[in-house]
Parts: sequence; structure tokens; C-alpha cells
Amino acid sequence: MKKSSLWVLATLAAVFIIGCQNQRAPAEQAVASAESALTNIRDMAQRYAPDQLQAVDAQLNGVKDSLAKGDYKGVLAAVPALNTAIGNLKDTATAKQEEAQAASAKAKDAWGPLSSDVPKMVDAISSRVDILSKSHHLPKGVTKDTLAAAKSGLDSMKSTWSDASNAATSGDYTSAVSKAQAVKDQASQIMQSLGMKS
Amino acid sequence: MADDKTPAADNPYTQIHVVQSGDTLSKIAQKYYGDASLYPKIFQANRDVLSDPNKISPGQKLRIP
Repeated sequence: MKKSSLWVLATLAAVFIIGCQNQRAPAEQAVASAESALTNIRDMAQRYAPDQLQAVDAQLNGVKDSLAKGDYKGVLAAVPALNTAIGNLKDTATAKQEEAQAASAKAKDAWGPLSSDVPKMVDAISSRVDILSKSHHLPKGVTKDTLAAAKSGLDSMKSTWSDASNAATSGDYTSAVSKAQAVKDQASQIMQSLGMKS
Repeated sequence: MADDKTPAADNPYTQIHVVQSGDTLSKIAQKYYGDASLYPKIFQANRDVLSDPNKISPGQKLRIP
């Protein structure tokens, strides 16, 4: 090979290397920026959009692999899509967080009446069960099995009510309302079975 | 939840019986508890409106604990 050809090849290689090096800093900066944006929303995304976060993480890892391999052009080409995915993830997680907050506020409102009503229902049933347990005969429509079911139902309701109260104390009103509503439904059913509803 | 198993006087879930002509506390206890001898439970729950278990009047609203 002639000396002139070698010079041409060396020059081209140098141009290529310099070109790559020129892309390295922007590529590194773009990945760092995307990673930082993802870090900022990671906790929220983990809670409200974990599957979407997993997909974005995979996308980010792919770009980081390209960066490690020196494929800066590939990195710069892939980063816009990655940034779009991060933006979409943020939008989804934010929307779901807002939905959850609205549901929690609604549950907190519902907790007030339930926390007042349910203990009164349980007290009324407890009183009736106590009296019927002392009765020599049961009233019309109430059998020994009905009374036994009411007694075990009382234990179950007290336990679930305790869980509901603990959930409310810890601020989990959604769970508290769900449990309290279950107790209320059960109490209503037992009151019906004991003839406590006219 | 109350410990003494007697619901508070203002408990809206305590059953109410409206006294009919010919009712006695024993008859009411028989109806709701299946046992007339348990009438004192009704009397005790209504001490704010009853002074004598033998004196109830038609139209009176009695709590049935």
C-alpha cells in the first residue's frame, strides 16, 4: 500500500474517532439527564405504575449498554424515545396518584359515619345476644343455630372492627372503610336474623 | 363499644316497640325474647320513661335491648 493511502486511511480513522469523541459528551449528558429524570419519579412510579416503570428501566438499561459500548450515535438516537417514555410514565403515575388521593379523601369522608354507626350496631346486637342467651325459650323465628351464628358473628365483627380502626388510625381510610362496611353488612344481617328489625 | 352490653339510650339501632292496648312488659318480653320472665331487661332499659313495670301506656315507645 502506498504511503499516501495510509495517510488517507489514518486521516479518515482520526476523523471518525474525533467524530465519536465529539458525540460522547452529549451522549453521556443525555443518559445522565434521563436517568436523573427517572430517579425523580421512581418512588411514585414504583407505587402507581410499576409495570410501566419496569419497561422504562429496560429501555434505560439498553441505552446505558450502548453508551458503555461507545455507540454514542445510537445513544443520541435512542434518548428522545427514552425521554418520551419517562414523560409518559410520569403522566401515568401522577394521574394514578391523584386518583388514589381522591379515593382516599372519599374514604375518609365515609369513615366518619361508619365509625359512629358500626359500634352502635354491634352494641345493640351484643345486648340482644346476651339477653337471648339467658332466655329459656327463643322468640318466634329465632333458633338455637341462629343465636349461635350471631354469637360467632359478634366475635368476627369485633375482630374486623379492630382491624378497621387500626387502619383508620394509620391513615389507610380505604382499607378502614372496606372493613367497616363488611362489619356493617354482617351486623345488618345478624340483626335481621335475630328479629331486631321491625 | 360499650362494655356492659346495654346499648346507650340514644343508640339508633336499639329496637323500638310501640306499646299497644293490652301490652304488658311480660308480653313484650315474651314477644322479643321468647321468655316473659326477662321483662326486667326492658324495664331497666326504659327507666327514663317507666317508673313502674306494671304501668305502661298505649303509644309509649319502649327500647328493646
